This record gives sequence, C-alpha cells and structure tokens, in this order.
Amino acid sequence: MQVEKFYYDNQTVKNFAYATILWGVVGMTLGLLIAVQIYLPAANFGLPLTTFGRVRPVHTNAVIFAFVGNGIFMGVYYSLQRLCKARMFNDALSKIHFWGWQLIIVAAALTLLTGHTTGKEYAELEWPIDIAITLVWVIFGINMFGTILKRREQHLYVAIWFYIATWVTVAMLHIVNSFEIPVSFLKSYSWYAGVQDALVQWWYGHNAVAFFLTTPYLGIMYYFLPKAANRPVYSYRLSIIHFWALIFIYIWAGPHHLLYTALPDWAQSLGTVFSIMLIAPSWGGMLNGLFTLRGAWDKVREDPILKFMVVAITCYGMATFEGPMLSLKNVNAITHFTDWTIAHVHIGALGWNGFLTFAILYWIIPKIFNTPLYSKKLATTHFWVGTIGIVLYAVPMYWAGFTQAMMWKQFTEEGILKYQFLETVTHIIPMYVTRSLGGLIYLVGVFIMVYNLVKTVKSGKLAANEAAEAPALSDVVETHGKQYWHKWIEKRPIQMLVFSLVLVAIGGLLELVPTFLIKSNIPTIVSVKPYTPLELQGRDIYIREGCYLCHSQMVRPFRDEVARYGEYSKAGEFVYDHPFQWGSKRTGPDLARIGGKYPDSWHYNHMLEAQSMSPGSIMPSYAWMLDDAIDTASTPAKIRAMKILGVPYPDGYDKQANADLMTQANSIRINLKIDKINTAANKEIIAMIAYLQRVGSDIKLQPASEKK
Amino acid sequence: MDRAITKKVTVQCYHCGEDCTNEIIQNQEKSFCCSGCKMVYEILQQNGLCDYYSISNNPGKNQKTKIREDKFSFLDDIKIAASLIQYKDEERTHVQFYLPQIHCSSCLWLLENLHKLAPAVISSKVDFERREVAIVFEHKNYSLRKVAEQLTAIGYEPYLSFNDMGKQLPKTDSSKIYKLGIAGFCFANIMLMSFPEYFGIDAKEKDLLVLFRYANLILSLPVFFYSATEFYNSAWKSLKHKFLNIDAPIVLAVWVTFTRSLYEVLSGTGGGYFDSMSGIVFFMLAGRVLQDKTYRQLSFERDYTSYFPIAVTRIQDNQTEAVVLPDIKLNDTLLIHNEELIPADGILTMGKAFIDYSFVTGESEPVAKEMGEIVYAGGKQIGSNIEILVIKEVAQSYLTRLWNKDETTIEKTNEHSFVHLLSRYFTWIVFGIAIAGATYWFFKDTDRIWNVITAVLIIACPCALLLSNTFTNGNILRRLGRNHFYLRNAQVIEDIATADTIVFDKTGTLTTGRYNDIQYEGATLTWQQKQQLYALASQSTHPLSKAIVEWTGETGSRKVHAFKELPGYGIEGMVEGNFLLLGSKSFVTHQESKEENDSIVYLSIEEKLMGKFSFRNQYRKQIPDMLQFINKKYALAVLSGDNAGEEKYLRELLGFDTHLLFNQNPSDKLQVIKRLQTQGKKVIMIGDGLNDAGALQQANVGIAISENNNHFTPASDAILSAWQLPKLYQLIQLCKFNKRVVMTAFVISVIYNLIGLFFAVQGVLTPLIAAILMPCSSLSILLVTYGLSNFFGTRLGLK
Amino acid sequence: MSVIIILLIASIAVAALFLAAFIWSVRDGQYKDEIAPAVRILFDDKPSEQIKEVEEAKLT
Repeated sequence: MQVEKFYYDNQTVKNFAYATILWGVVGMTLGLLIAVQIYLPAANFGLPLTTFGRVRPVHTNAVIFAFVGNGIFMGVYYSLQRLCKARMFNDALSKIHFWGWQLIIVAAALTLLTGHTTGKEYAELEWPIDIAITLVWVIFGINMFGTILKRREQHLYVAIWFYIATWVTVAMLHIVNSFEIPVSFLKSYSWYAGVQDALVQWWYGHNAVAFFLTTPYLGIMYYFLPKAANRPVYSYRLSIIHFWALIFIYIWAGPHHLLYTALPDWAQSLGTVFSIMLIAPSWGGMLNGLFTLRGAWDKVREDPILKFMVVAITCYGMATFEGPMLSLKNVNAITHFTDWTIAHVHIGALGWNGFLTFAILYWIIPKIFNTPLYSKKLATTHFWVGTIGIVLYAVPMYWAGFTQAMMWKQFTEEGILKYQFLETVTHIIPMYVTRSLGGLIYLVGVFIMVYNLVKTVKSGKLAANEAAEAPALSDVVETHGKQYWHKWIEKRPIQMLVFSLVLVAIGGLLELVPTFLIKSNIPTIVSVKPYTPLELQGRDIYIREGCYLCHSQMVRPFRDEVARYGEYSKAGEFVYDHPFQWGSKRTGPDLARIGGKYPDSWHYNHMLEAQSMSPGSIMPSYAWMLDDAIDTASTPAKIRAMKILGVPYPDGYDKQANADLMTQANSIRINLKIDKINTAANKEIIAMIAYLQRVGSDIKLQPASEKK
Repeated sequence: MDRAITKKVTVQCYHCGEDCTNEIIQNQEKSFCCSGCKMVYEILQQNGLCDYYSISNNPGKNQKTKIREDKFSFLDDIKIAASLIQYKDEERTHVQFYLPQIHCSSCLWLLENLHKLAPAVISSKVDFERREVAIVFEHKNYSLRKVAEQLTAIGYEPYLSFNDMGKQLPKTDSSKIYKLGIAGFCFANIMLMSFPEYFGIDAKEKDLLVLFRYANLILSLPVFFYSATEFYNSAWKSLKHKFLNIDAPIVLAVWVTFTRSLYEVLSGTGGGYFDSMSGIVFFMLAGRVLQDKTYRQLSFERDYTSYFPIAVTRIQDNQTEAVVLPDIKLNDTLLIHNEELIPADGILTMGKAFIDYSFVTGESEPVAKEMGEIVYAGGKQIGSNIEILVIKEVAQSYLTRLWNKDETTIEKTNEHSFVHLLSRYFTWIVFGIAIAGATYWFFKDTDRIWNVITAVLIIACPCALLLSNTFTNGNILRRLGRNHFYLRNAQVIEDIATADTIVFDKTGTLTTGRYNDIQYEGATLTWQQKQQLYALASQSTHPLSKAIVEWTGETGSRKVHAFKELPGYGIEGMVEGNFLLLGSKSFVTHQESKEENDSIVYLSIEEKLMGKFSFRNQYRKQIPDMLQFINKKYALAVLSGDNAGEEKYLRELLGFDTHLLFNQNPSDKLQVIKRLQTQGKKVIMIGDGLNDAGALQQANVGIAISENNNHFTPASDAILSAWQLPKLYQLIQLCKFNKRVVMTAFVISVIYNLIGLFFAVQGVLTPLIAAILMPCSSLSILLVTYGLSNFFGTRLGLK
Repeated sequence: MSVIIILLIASIAVAALFLAAFIWSVRDGQYKDEIAPAVRILFDDKPSEQIKEVEEAKLT
C-alpha cells in the first residue's frame, strides 16, 4: 500500500467563514440598535418587530448561535481535517450541515421578530426549530465522528477532544432543556414549571456558555494558536489534564445563576462550589495559551493575528475568574440583575469569542485562498479599534452595574429607600450612552476586517480542494509492550458515536419522565391558583413581547428588595408558571408583586406611553396592544396543554374557557371606563392588564397562619 | 593563519551547525564540515525534503565518523532480524529502532516522512520521549537492513545492542492512572450528591435525600474495591514482612470509613462519609502518580549487554558471517573492525591491536597489543581491522564475570523511610485517642462509643503524612529533573539526604576524559610547520594525535607520504618533503630513555627535535571549586583507573585526609566502597562508564554522569548531566530539604486533624465538617509542599 | 425538586461517557508521548512538488 493522496475540503470552510462574517455583522448591528434603544426609546420606532423585547433575543441568538456557531464550524471543519489527515467524512453532509444551520438562523430571526418565543433565555426558539437544530446537530456529529474514524493519524489531538465534548454535551443540554408541549405550530409551553423550569433553564444556560462558547473555542485555540505562532503548545500534558478536569466539573456550575432565588439552598451552594472549582482548569487553559507565546513576544509585536489571540485568551482568563467570583453569594447579591452581568458576558463575547474568531478568519482566509493577507496594517488597526471598543463597552457597564446596585440598596436614616427605581436608571444613562459608543467602535473594527478580507479574497483563488498526502494509519497499535492486532480499538470513535446516540436516546426517554415531574413536591401554597384564561393569554403576550428581558419576577430576601417590591418570592408561587419568568436583568423594576399595585388605567396608559405615567422612563410604547385583538381561538388548545402539564383546570374547561375570558375582560373594560378610558374587551391590553394585576397577588390571599 | 582563524569563526556546517575546522565542502552556497553532512543534504534535496532545514536551523548531527557500508549486513541474518522485528505478516513488517540522534522537530518531521525516501515504508512514527521510531514497511522488496541503512544515510544510525534482542518494550503500567481517573469521577459525583447532606434539605424532599445516599453508596464501590487496592497491596506486603508501613493505618481508616458509611446509609441514620473516603483516596493516588514520575527516555537498569554489539563478524574457512553474541564458540575467529567493541576474551591472531580500555578500566590511554597477546572483552579496537581467536565465551569473559560478580553483591533496603517510622508512632497515638474517647463515652453515653471510635479513626488517618510525603517527593523529583538530575525513584531522595561520604571516579567524571589541556615547550612552530604537523597527526586515530590536531587549529589538506604508525611508539611521515616524527622520546630521538611518560609526546622535523607536548586531562568547568567546597562538608575519595599523574594536583586541591587511589580496576573500586560501608559510612558513588558499574551499584547511591541525557550510562540510582556536576552540592541540599518540607506540611495537616478530632471525640463530626476538613488539609498540603520545595530550590539557585 | 433527578441522570451519564473515553484513551496509549503530538500539528502534509503538478493536471 502506498502513501495516500487526498484533498482537504476548503469549500465548506469558506462557506462557514463567510457565514460567520455575515452573521457577526448582523448580530452586532442589532446589538448596537438595542444598546441605543436603552437610552433612546424613540429608537424602538413604535413597531412590534423593532422593539427592544423582540430585537434583543435576535441579537443574543445571532451572536451566539449564528456568529460564534458558524465560527466554531469554520474552525472545526478546517482543523479537524488536518488533525485527522483526512477529508471530512461526507461532502453531502457538510453541505446539509451548512445550509441547514443557515436556514435555522433565518427561521430563528423571523420567528423571534414576529414574537414567537418560548420565553426561556438563550433557548427562545420554538419547538419546530428545536427539532431542526437537533437534526442538523446529529448530522454534524456523524460528519465529525466519521472523519475521526477514517483518520490517518493515530493520536487524537487535544483539540479533537474538545470538539467531541462540545458535540455530546450540547446535544444532551439542548434536548433536556427543550422539553415542551406544542400548543400550535409556533407555540409551546415548557414541560417544567417555576423553580424546576428555572433550574433546568440555567443548568442549560450556563452549560450553553460552557460548551458552546468555551470548549469548542478552547479546542480551536489549541490548534490555531500553535499554528499561528508556529511553536508547539507550552505544555501538552497540561492541556490534557485541563481538558479532563474541565469536562468533569463544568456540568454542575449552572445553579449559580439562581442564587438567593426560590431554589433550595443546597442546590445554590452546589452551583457556587462547582463554579469556584472551575477556576483551576479554566486558568490551566489560559496559562497554557499564554505560555505558548513565551519567548515569542517579538512575533506578537508584528503579527496582528497573535495580538488578537493574546487579548482573546486574556479576556477568557478574566471572564473565567470573574464568573466564579460572581457566583459567590455576597458578590452575586450586588451584581445580579444589574449591568455587571452584561459587562461580564461581553468580555467573553467581544473579547474571547469575537477576537479569537477574527484571529482565525485572518489566518484561514489567506491560507485557503493561498494569498497573503491584503493588509497587515488594517488588521492591526482593527485590533486596536476593537480593543478600545471592548474597554469602552465593559468599563461603563461595570460601573453602571455597581452604581445602580448600590443605589438600590440605600436607605435614609428614617429607614426608607433613598432612591426611586427610575432615579437609579436615569442616573446611569450616560454610561449606557458610552457603552453604545464602545459597541459602535467595535463594530467599525469589524467592518475594517470585512474590507480587508474582501480585498484578500479578491487577490487570491480559493483552493476548494487542497491536495495533501499521508500514509494510511497502520492498524497495529501496541499496548502493554505486547503487539497484537487492534483494528477494533481504532474503531473506538464508532463506539463513542454509538454511546453519544444512546445518550441522546436517554434524553429522549426522559420525555416520559416529566409526567412524574408534574406531581412535583414543591412546597405548595394553598392560595396559589392556576391562571384564568384571560391571564394566561395576557401572560403569553408578556412572553411574546419579551418583557422578561427587562423585568424580573423574583424578589430576593433582601431588606431593600422587600421594602421596594414586597414580600420575597416563594418556590410555591410558581408551580403554574410554564415557563418561569424570573428574568435575569432589571432594566426596569421587578414585577413579582405588581399585581394590584396600580389601577388598571395606570397600566393602560403606561403601555401606551410609559413616560406619561413615570416621566423619564425608558420603556418603549406598546401601543399595538391597544388595537390588536386577543387570539381567543387559541384559548382551548392552551388550556388543554396546561391540563396535560398538570395545571388543575376542571375537565372540559377548555370548552368554557373563552366564556370566562370574556367575563373577566368585561370587568376590566368597565374598570377602565370608570377612568374615562374607552376600549373593547377583546383587546390584548385587557389580557395584559389582567395578567399584570394577577402576578404575585395570590400569596396575599393566604391566611396569615400559612405564611412563613 | 588569520585567514584560518576567521574561517574557523565564521563558517558553520549547514547540516550540523558545527564549525568547519578541517575542510569546507561547498554545494551551491551551502557549506558543510564534512562529506558526510553534505551527502545527507544531497539525499534530502533530491527528495524535496529540504523543509528539514527550515523547520529548525542546522538540525543534523555531525557525520564526520564514517560508517562502513556492510555494518548492518548482520540484519540480513534471519535469526537476528527475527529477534528485532516486533510484528510481521504476509506483506508487512513492524520494527522499532532506537535513534539517539533524535533531538528536534526537524528530526521528527524527516523521520515521519521516511516514506518519501523509501516508498516501501508504509508509515514511520516517532516517539520523541523515547527517541524511538516505529517503522512499518513492506518486506516484499525491502529489508530490515535496507531500513537501517536508509536511516543511517540520512544521519540517524540506529543503535542496536545485544540486549535489544527479542526485547519487549517496558510494560507501561497505567493501572494507577485508571484508578485515579475512576476515583476522581466518583469523588466529584459523590460530592455533588452530598450537598443536600451538607446544607440540609427541605423536609418534603427526604425521598430525594435517600436517593442521593444510595447513589453515593453505589459510586463509592469502585473507589473502595478498585481505586483503593493500590494501598491494600502495599499495606499487605509490608505486613507480611512484619512491618507496619504507612499504608496500613490508611487502609484501616478507609475501611472504617466505608463500613461506617455503609451502616449509616443502610440503617438510614445518616449520609456517611463516602465523599471524604473517595476524596482521600483520590488525593493520595494523585500524590502517588506525581511521585512515580518516570524519565522514560533514560534507563537506570542498563547492564553490559546494552554496550555490546548485537552481532560480530566471524571468519570461518575464509567466509565472513554475522553471528549473535551468545553463539560465539571457543576457538572461533572474530573479525573486529575499527571502533568496534571486543565481545569476548581472545588471542590476537592478526593485525595490530590498539585497544582503548577506558570503558572497562578507566585508563584513558589506548594500549598496543602485539599478535599472540590476550585482549579482554570490553576493549575497543582503534585503527585497522584485527582478528582474534576466542578463548572464553562471552558469558565467561572478564567483563561479564566482573559484572555478574557485582550483581550478587547488591541488596538495597527500601522500606526504612522515616515516613514509615513516623507513621507507626502516629498510628499508636491515634489508637490511644480513639480508646480514650471510647472510655470517656463509655461512662457518659455508651451508644456513642462506636460513633466516636470510628470518627477518630476516620479523621486521624495519617493520609496527611502520606500526602505531604508523596507530593513533596513529586515536586523535588520534578525540580531535580529540571536541573538534569534524574532519580530512579523517590526513595533515592532520602538515600542521598542521609549519605555522609562521596566517592568520585576521576576520568570521565571529574575530567572530560579528553586531552584538551596541552602544553608545548620548544622552538615555536611556523604556520608552515603547524600545517605539516596537522597533516601528519590527522592521519592517526590515537587520542593524543587527535588532541594535537585540535591544538594546531589548522585546516587544509596537505599530502602525507610514507605514513607509518607504530602502535605504542608514534607516527612518522613525509609532508611537503619534510620528514616528521611524532611520538615517545625514544621513538623520536632514537635513544633509550629512562623516564618514559605516556602523556608526553615529542616532535622532530627533518630529525631536528622541535619540542615536546605534555598532556593533562582537562577538569570539567568549576569542578575544582566544587570539590574544595564539598570537601568541607563530606568525607571525599577519588578513584581513578588512570596512572598517578594527577596525584599532586588533587592533593593540593583536597588536602591529605582524602583518599586518592589510582590504577584502580573495577573490582578495586567496588572493594573501596564496601570498605567504607563496613566502616558504617553511607556512600554516594559518582562515576561514568562501565568501569564504575560495580561501585555504582554497591554504593548506597550510585550517580552516573552522562554527557547527554540519551548517552549510555551504567546501571545506577540517579543520572546527572555532566555540565550540572558543579551544582552537585546544591542538588544534594535540595534532597535534604525534602524531609523538612514533609515535616512542615505534616505539622500543618496535623492541625486540621486536631480540629477534626475535636469534633470527633465529642461524637459530633458531621459530614459537612469532614467534607470541609478533608479537601482543605489536602489542598493546603499540596500548596505548602509545592511552595516550600520551590522556595528552597530557588534559594539554592537551582532552575 | 424532582427535576434534579433528570439533570443528575443526564450529567452523570455524560460524565460516565467521558470516563469511558478517558480510560480508552489511556489504554490506547494516546498519551504515551507528550511531546511529538504537539509538534506534529505544526507540519503541513502538502505533497512533494512533482506529485502535486500531476494531480493539479488531473483536476483541471
């Protein structure tokens, strides 16, 4: 048998690279838009699909799953082939994977903008898209493991391990978190309710960060950093240890997103401890990355690619140190719900993911078009512009977060809150402005890159199939000093694939488990009753408009929060919340105790023009709620779905639900009429008011004896 | 002359990077120091493998010493080949070669692209740490010999030695790693599911709690029955020797913890301490793994066979054939080539033997043997081919006997480490406390007794001691390794620390074994004459001639006519019409002289005595200072196979209370060590070459000096890179610190144990307290040991 | 909090999977040599010139 000749598939790599750039620009532009909307309500243009609540999820999804997602695939498709000394397993699969993923992104953007969302952060996409994602992911898996199988290099380089980990874990997370019962083609309710939903959601949310934004990029770092610096990684052993340590710990850091919430103490502490333990492996990776450049700083000085990588890795280090710190209860008490979190995630997104992606783009494009980069100088400019952008973005946000938290907690000598919520917001507006400026500068940098890369592409010709040759893998492997045939051990990747599929299957089987979840033993509060049909419809509007993105529904047991919002939240209050709406950020005040706080008319006017009720408010107008009619057709289906999920509506209630809905709607209409507001009872605003007036009010009804 | 010098400075060989001293061979702007290097370059160039030179600069190794074409002919012998091949089927052969030359990424790249040179090669993989290449080739139209020759052609001559025959690769025992991995996995998940236990769980979720407890129980089984076996075994071993080593109390603790936890869970009275148990096992295994750091590229276990060629040429009725050593019979006639080792004692039957025994005796001067004289195994022939008639089989030969004699004398005790002694007291104390606690509760509240006893045993198990010990050893070993001082295992650290006497071998250890230290007295030589002298001397392979070549520092190629070498006397020849004589006084001046000194060489040109060269072994850099310094702290001795020429110098250096012994053959050296030991001394022997092998093994610690890490060193407890010898004292100090660090860490961890005991004896040791104390003590031990050992290391100015 | 059970099953399943992978990789001698792999990735496996030309010719 002779040395084998084969061809690397650069076509797919190119496609993913282009997609990365395109979606990067889109996602960041939207980010800039919402950053402006925060201090300039007019920038919401009064249209549903340009309003913050709808654009924000598009921004996050576009950046995470479109920009970084395609970035991952670009990096994997390029490095995996070379590490395995083999072409990707199957060209057709590569194509399906690419186009499938882009389709999903487009679908996601459209559905989110039109208000079709599950209302679970970072998992907003509705069930048909969830299924599509699963399918494409499996295709990616087959393609990847197939390649690993027919590799011509016996050793699996550490990067490959990171890719495998990414694939397996993301598959599992996605499936477990996406249990939902479809109501209609684009509407579903989460299987889990309240606390349980929250736990699953953030277990997922955290690991999405861990295994979508971190592990694949670490793998990519371990390949492209040595390549770019043309020197082996500082310590290969460290990289191996670092990988296995990370894998065994990451999964469990999730609950730290729920500190001081109604989640049981032990689960919270668990989140904290495991987050702290994460520092070690994370920093192992960072140091390994930086030390690789030890003694090559002269190279770094003139090579923009390395510059990008250095900053990226540094940001990774900062973020992975900050994360555990934020999961310390007393730190979290301050930073949670503030812009601190925003700063934290953007250090990761702009610094770690963004810069590493840019570095790889600058490295790959010239390679596959075999031509030098059009302009090193422009790349360096991009680097500096981007860095300034990050600083201008992060610093004000940290500042804003800290200031606001402090203001929230301040009391006067008389023991009353020093600041109204609105004051704390208007106070930090200047920082919001600076932030958007930082974002703008960062974006400008990206455009510089686009120009640079376009020029580069123009000057070169794509080597769609790059010739390579390597001897086939000789199928004898020595173990324990003895020599014997080991064809099968080489086949292990297949076993791994089977394993993973079995795992996915386990996830599937778990679909059955939720049925027993319904009889969950959350401490129940007698006075907590299911939502009325009208409130249910209202709640769905609340979700549709993405209110949870600015308003939390979780009063933590702190003096200031109790004083400001009312009694702190109990786990038992959320048993009928499919999905939970605790939220993670308080751009506006908490709404857990909004029910009965204001008259219906107040809400009506507030939705029409918030500023009229609270001058200086930055909340956009939701005028369309006043005109659009409630989609009563969907009521029966929704009730049925809720019944399946164990919400105790009487049998056959779906039939009479709409009748009840109208009666309640009318009472509200009359309330409004008293306040000189004329509107029909079937308007969405009515449902919205009904829901808001209900939120967190049940607990007030319970006899004092039950209170704890 | 100036020209010559500038040349020397400027021109580097494109292949090996060495200065082109004698000649400069040009090939398209590339200059080479020798035809060998040039040839390698040409081969690579023709095959488009010149990346070899771009990956790293001057990646090659010098090719000056030619290898004879038929050197690997013996690989055609099926029997020999079979002993080397690892796997063979219809069309493929798998073989592994040891290539000492592997040193950089270029090597890796070139060797793994072997298939571009030899299409029959299917794959070649380099194990960089072992400096081995595993080659798969189709033997239809290619042979083992061809592979070896191909490798040699590109500058990677395989090193094949007698003990490669049918050798199995050393069994890599990764069971510890598995145990560690599994312990880690279980530990993490048990901890995970112990959290409700720690922080309390809502009354309504008790069923969940039970579930967690049983899950923990299941997860703890692999730890208890698999991971922990590491300790069971060693404890059992020591008990069989009626000795209570540190693992015994640990095993006890592990068992107690497990049974108690088992009881608590099954009886539903509590969550048990599965997390602590698995945690302890995990950390202790981690320590063990760290401590068992192995230097895979080094071998501490070499015996003479790895110095012997795998086969030699036997002459039978005028036919030469390759024959493996064991098959050499009495009265065989062997053909020994230049630079080849004599495998068996024999009588010189043909040719002029000129044998370098430095390897066996340490005597750095080659000795001349006339026909009919006996030559001993282990000597290396220099110069023309010779034939010998075997009078003793390899197994009976001088060298082998010498070796085997040593083997018998070796017995080293390992289990007396202070840690184990310490742990014994510790154990008794623990038992004391346990009993005390028990008796106390016996009067207060009897049903707490077991609770207390178990709790005490759990908390106070000497795992802290073991942890601090293993982690410290691990760090020290790594630290020493970074300074190119490689120890066979952790025990050696302590042996070094306790030693009080240091014995040095001279030649090759204190000195470089080469004659670089030359004095010339007499008429100054013109450049012309130097050139002539250079030309003459470079004809001979005698070390002194080589030294003189170096001394002239000349280059160029003048013709030498009528060259004659009279072994043991000198050399003569005509250069540019001048008749030069170079050699012993009597040889050069043609008159008997009383005072013959081996290390003085006379030169005459046209029968006119020009002057004399006197030689001295050159001492390694800073060695004298090091000796004088160490002399203050330790009893020293210097043994040398060489003549007493150096005595005066060494006396001045080391004063009179130091043993200086010369003309020592290997067994003498061995005896010296023994004598010292019978005087109750703990001896460190430091030597190189095989001539020290016996002594190295006899000594409490044998340290072999090595020029480069993959250079062959005799069996020893430690290997030290030659250029690090001056650091010897600091390195020994570091070993001494080991004990101090262990104790410090131990004391600290004892504090944790006391805290734990405080709760334990009151019978209120909750899983949470246990869970906090365990990792805290383990981690602080880790940090302390690491911090301290590094601190001491840096303070000693070590890397 | 019975949902924790799902998360546990899922997480431990994954962890176990990786434990298996870990044991395999050690058994397979994946980590036998900790120097070469890191260096190896730096080399491009482009075919030697003459071969390349032939191939290019075939392609176009």
